[in-house]
Amino acid sequence: MVMVVATRQSGDHFSNGRMLDEDKITKALNNATALGAEYAEIRLVSETTNTASLKDGKLERAIPGQEVGVTMRILADGAWGVHSTSDIASIIHQVEPTFRLAKAVAARRSPSQTAVGLAEVPIIEDELHWKSLKDVRDTDLDKRIELMLAIDNEAKDDDRIVSTSTGWSDEHIHTELMTTEGMNRVWSFQRSLINGMVTARDGGDVVSYRMRHGGEGGLELIEACDLGEMGRNARTSVLRLLGAERAPSGRMPLVADRDLTGVYIHEALGHPCEADLVAAGDSCLEGRLGQLIGSEICTVVDDPTMRGGYGCYPIDDEGVDTRPKNLIVNGVLTEYLNHRETAHRYDLEPNGGARAQDGLHHPLVRMSNTVIQGGSHRDLDELIEDIDFGIYACGSRGGQVDTGRGSFQFAAQEAWIIENGSLARPVKDVSVSGMTLQILKDVDGLTRDAHLAAPGFCGKGQTVPVGDGGPLMRIREALVG
Amino acid sequence: MIPDDAAERLMDSAQFIGKSCEKLGIQQWEVFASQGYGHSLDIEAGKISMASGGGEGGFGIRVVEDGRYGFAHLVDTNSADRAIQEAIDIARKSPSIKGFELPGNQNATKVGGMKDKSILDMGPEDLLEQGDQVLTRVSELDSRAVAVGGGIGIGAGAGAILTSSGIEDSGIYTSHGIGIHVSIDEDEHLTSSYEGESSRSKLKDLTASVDKAVHWSQVTRNKIDGGETEDCPILMTSDGFSPLFSVVVPSAIKGDRLARGESFWSGKMGQTVMANHLSLVDDGLMEGGMSSGSRDGEGVPSRTQTLVENGRLSGQLWSSRDAAKLVSEGKVDSAQSTGSASRGGHTSPPVCGCSDLILSSSAKTLTRDRLIEEMDRGYIVHSVMGAHTANPTSGDFSVTTSTILRVEGGEVIGALSQAGLSGNMAKALNGRVTLGDSLKRKGSYSTGSMHVPDVLLMDGLRINPA
Repeated sequence: MVMVVATRQSGDHFSNGRMLDEDKITKALNNATALGAEYAEIRLVSETTNTASLKDGKLERAIPGQEVGVTMRILADGAWGVHSTSDIASIIHQVEPTFRLAKAVAARRSPSQTAVGLAEVPIIEDELHWKSLKDVRDTDLDKRIELMLAIDNEAKDDDRIVSTSTGWSDEHIHTELMTTEGMNRVWSFQRSLINGMVTARDGGDVVSYRMRHGGEGGLELIEACDLGEMGRNARTSVLRLLGAERAPSGRMPLVADRDLTGVYIHEALGHPCEADLVAAGDSCLEGRLGQLIGSEICTVVDDPTMRGGYGCYPIDDEGVDTRPKNLIVNGVLTEYLNHRETAHRYDLEPNGGARAQDGLHHPLVRMSNTVIQGGSHRDLDELIEDIDFGIYACGSRGGQVDTGRGSFQFAAQEAWIIENGSLARPVKDVSVSGMTLQILKDVDGLTRDAHLAAPGFCGKGQTVPVGDGGPLMRIREALVG
Repeated sequence: MIPDDAAERLMDSAQFIGKSCEKLGIQQWEVFASQGYGHSLDIEAGKISMASGGGEGGFGIRVVEDGRYGFAHLVDTNSADRAIQEAIDIARKSPSIKGFELPGNQNATKVGGMKDKSILDMGPEDLLEQGDQVLTRVSELDSRAVAVGGGIGIGAGAGAILTSSGIEDSGIYTSHGIGIHVSIDEDEHLTSSYEGESSRSKLKDLTASVDKAVHWSQVTRNKIDGGETEDCPILMTSDGFSPLFSVVVPSAIKGDRLARGESFWSGKMGQTVMANHLSLVDDGLMEGGMSSGSRDGEGVPSRTQTLVENGRLSGQLWSSRDAAKLVSEGKVDSAQSTGSASRGGHTSPPVCGCSDLILSSSAKTLTRDRLIEEMDRGYIVHSVMGAHTANPTSGDFSVTTSTILRVEGGEVIGALSQAGLSGNMAKALNGRVTLGDSLKRKGSYSTGSMHVPDVLLMDGLRINPA
C-alpha cells in the first residue's frame, strides 16, 4: 500500500506544507555520502490536477487527481544511479541499491569517456511560492464548464460544424528538493489551460481546427482571455479550410505567424541548443558557441521567468534559480541550455535548464519559454509587400527536429498564398522543413512586436509544458509541402 | 522485480475501495488498479550514461448513477473516501446517458504470452550486460558508427479491475524493449537512424535493432541530388509507415467519430475504403500482443474484430459509454461495446481505442526487393519526421524524411539529404497498394499497437526534394 509521509503542514493555503520527512531524508542522504557517493538528491513532486472536457457542449469527463512521485539520484564514481517511485516512504530504503547501480555504470566507462561531474551552484534553503491571483484549485467544475461553454457556443454556430470539443487542464505543482550538498528547497506554482477543437464537413471534405490558451497562473489567466472570440476565430478558420485548396510544394518565401515562429524557433534552434544533446554528439550546434549561425536580425531568448508563459518555473529541478538565457544575440550563438552536468562538462555557468516531467522522472536539459525578439517591420503588410509568390502560414499543428542532422519540420493549421504582395487565397496542409543552420540565415524580416503565442508541450522522452513565440517572421526561402 | 503477490495485493486494495463505495450506497462502481516496476538504462554518446529503476501505481475509480458518470484517481487508499466523493460530485453534474451502465461480467478468453518469467528474473546487471552487447555490436559493425542515444528497459506490472457488477480480474504482464539511435558523422556528413523493438517476452536478439540502425545510417550516405517535386510511387518500410498509420487510421475507425462525421470514413459503412485486397483487423486477443488482454479497460471481454474486409468498411470500435451515448443522442440506431475500451493507466477513465491493429492483404505479398522491382521508379522512405502533425480528421499529412532512397529501374541509385512527403492516407490506401511479406509489430503508440508490413503506395503521394 502506498503511504504519503506528511511531516509539516504550512498555514499558507498556497503551500502544501512538507511531504518529505526531513529527518529521514537527511539520514538517507548521509547514508549515500557514507557509502561513497559524490552527490545525492531526493526530489518529490506532488501535483494536484483537474482536467475536464465537453463534447458538443455537454460534459464528457472531469478528472480530479492527486499524484505524487519521488526520485533519488546518486552520483558515484562519475556515473548516475536513479530510483523513482510513487511510494514515498520507500525511497529511503533504496539508497544502497541505487548507489550500486551508479557504481556498476561507472565500472563500464572506458578511460576515454568523460566522467559525470556537477558544476557548483549556490546552496539554498528556502521556500518559494508563485501565488496565483486566483488559486486554480478553488475553481469549481461549474466555473470550468461555464468557461469552456464560452468557446463552444461561438465555435459551433454554423450548420457545417459537425462537432466541437473543448478541454480544461489545471495543475498545482509542489516540489521539494534535498541534496547531500545541503540544498533544501520547496517551491510551487500553477498552470492553467483551456483548449478546443472544431470539426466541419461539407460533403466528403472534412477538416478540423484547434485552439489553445493558457500559461503559468490560476483562474485569472483564463478569465482574461476573450474565449468567445477564440471560438469565433476557430469557426471562421475551420470553415475557410473547408474550401481551401492543397498547398503548393517547393521552395518559396514563407511568412509565419507568432505560433509558427515560436514552433520554428523551438524546434530548429532550441533543441540543438540543449547541452545534453550537444554532449551526446547529437546537435548540429556542437562547437559553435560564439559563431555567427543566423541572420543578424535574430535574437532568441529562453526565459523560464517570463511569468504567465506556459513554460515558466521558479526554480529548476536541480534547485538552481532560473534566469533568461540568450541563445542567439544578433545571429551569434551565445549560450547553450544547461543543467549542472553539462555546465560542468563545458565549464559554463548552470543556467537553470534542468526540468523533469514529474516526480517520477529525472531532470533533462529542457526549454522553457523560447521567444525570438522583434525586428523592424511594421506589420504583416510590410513583410509581404515585396513577395511575388509565397506562403503566409498560421497556427501550429506541431513540429519535430533531428538535432544531429539539424533538420526540422513543422506544420501549420491554415495558410494563404501570397501573390504580388497580398494575401490571395487560403490553402491547407502546409508543412515547412529545412536545415537549422541554413534557414536561420534566411530570416530576413521580423515585425516589431514579439510575445508568447499559444502554449504547447515538448516531448523528449519526457513531456513538459513550454511556451514559445515571437513576432511575425519572414524567411527568404523555405521548403513548403 | 515484482512481488509474487503483487496482483493479489492490488486486488485487496481494490476491494477496500469497493467496500467504501458500497458503504456510500453508490449504484455502480468500478475500481481499476495498476502497479508497475522496471529497470532501464540510458545510452548516450556511445556509453551507458545512467541506470535507473523504480515503480509507480495507483487507482482509478469510476462511479455511475442514473446514467451519469464520474471518475477520480488516487495513489493512497487512505484517500479513497475523498476520491470517491469527488467522483460522485462530478457524476451528479454530468449529463445522464440513457441506457448507460457499467458492463456486466462475461466470461473472457485467457490470452497467453502476457508474462515471461525470464524477464521477472532479470536484474539491473543483466540489463547492463545487454547494454554492453549493444554498444559492442555498434562498433563491430562500423567503426564510424556511434550510439548517440537510446536505451534498454524491462518492466513488470500488475493490473486489477473490480466492479459492482461482478467483474473481478487481475494479472501480471512483462515487457522488454530497446531503442537505439546510431549516427555516422564523417567528412562533415552526418547520417543516422533510430530503431526500436519491444515485446512481452524477453527479446532474443537485441542486436537486430542495432544492425538495422547501422544499416540505414550506412545506406543513406550515398547522396544524390534531389530532383523535382513529383507525384510518384513510394515504398514505405513498415518502420516509416507505422507512425503515420498510427496517427490517422485508429482514429478513423472509432464508432463515435464515424457517427459524428469526424472520420474520413464517416457514412461509408459497407463501402470500399481501401484497395479490395486489404483488410484491417483489431485483435484484442493476440498472444503476447502489447495492447491485448483477456479484457478491455472496463472489463469487457476482448475480441478479434474485422474493421475493413477486402477493402470494405465493415466494423467499428465502441466503448460501452460511447455506444450508449451515441444511441441516446440519436446519432446511431444501435451500438454496443466491442471490448475496445483502453486506458492510459490508473489516471485515465476508459476511452475507446484499438488494441493490436493488423493491416493485411489477400493478394500476393512481396519481399522488399520484389517491391522495389515492382515500383520500378520512385522512392523508399524508412522514417518520417512530424508524423504527429498528420491530420486524423482528413487523413492529410505533410511530413519530412531524411531516410529516403531514390529507385530507378527497380534499383536503389542513392539517397536524398531530405525531402517532404505529403498526401492523404485514406486516398493512398484506396489506390494501388502492394504489401510486403513481413508482418511485424512496428510500434506501440497511444492509439494502440500497429502491425503493418512494408507498403508500396502507387497513388496519391508527393515527394518534394530539399
